[in-house]
Amino acid sequence: MWYYEKKLQYPANVSGPDLAMAKYLYAQYGGPDSELSAAVRYLTQRYTMPIPQAKATLTDIGTEELAHWEIIGTLIYKLTDGVSPEQMRAAGLGDHFAQHDNALYPHDAAGVPWTAAYIQATGDPIADLHEDLAAEQKARVTYEHLISMTNNAGVIETLSFLREREIVHFQRFGETLMLVKDYMNRKHIF
Amino acid sequence: MYKPEMVKLLREIQAVDFAIYELALFLNTHPNDRKALEDHNTLVTRSRQLKAQYEDRFGPLRLDSISKYPYQYINDPWPWEIEY
Amino acid sequence: MAPNDKEITYSYPHMEMKLAEVYIPMQVYGETFDLHTALRYGTLFPDLYRPYVRRPLM
Repeated sequence: MWYYEKKLQYPANVSGPDLAMAKYLYAQYGGPDSELSAAVRYLTQRYTMPIPQAKATLTDIGTEELAHWEIIGTLIYKLTDGVSPEQMRAAGLGDHFAQHDNALYPHDAAGVPWTAAYIQATGDPIADLHEDLAAEQKARVTYEHLISMTNNAGVIETLSFLREREIVHFQRFGETLMLVKDYMNRKHIF
Repeated sequence: MYKPEMVKLLREIQAVDFAIYELALFLNTHPNDRKALEDHNTLVTRSRQLKAQYEDRFGPLRLDSISKYPYQYINDPWPWEIEY
Repeated sequence: MAPNDKEITYSYPHMEMKLAEVYIPMQVYGETFDLHTALRYGTLFPDLYRPYVRRPLM
């Protein structure tokens, strides 16, 4: 089961306002390659992994992605805290404000609500792990896009941390894939 | 609202806990690595010490932490409200 | 070569590489960053550190 600890994994600060950035950060809060997609994908696929190393990896990376979802939420919260409706509108967040005020909501940068259609769990561990490798690359790329759109130091530092995590996760999924393939090959040897 | 010492100690804990998570992910695919496991366990001990200090001074980190009266777990600041 | 790349030889003595398969080397436990650097960078392992160099905004 999941317990909550009152502590962010990373000390996320923003260096002053950058409201337009809050809109783009929604890509990682509720978009196709977001931390939310990653968390739900891995925590869903874990049930049909054949070996302990894979069950542990999917569980623990999935859990870490929830912690990253919290960090993105924190960045958006800090960027929009105390902001007026006029400022929201001017920054392109009018659509969001109309329905959600200053609340967060799991949609992408264009306002499209999150959907489970962003993830797959085929039940084939090899296919699932390849999806996970691709997901980590897409997240890495999204972070690079976001980083290149802002000068806000706090935001850049936090996004750089999150981007590097995707690289490490890619390595772990790669190792898990090797271990699963090895297991599947050995199983078929009589 | 909250003290700089609280943030300082929290940041120490974040650094230790992050390393633990990194090592735990490594151990998930390398369960037989003795050195990694030793380092993991050493950091876990360190984390527990730091958290005991933190909770004693600044209150519970989890709903299963011991709490003074009245129930302190609910108190501000919550993690998204802290200037780190 | 980026500053953190080293000649790392990963050997798979018993594995023969086949077409239409993905191969990723298993990391070997080695050097680690100090704890605060690791948190800042996003990894404990220099071997896995791949910083993104962004171009400054005009």
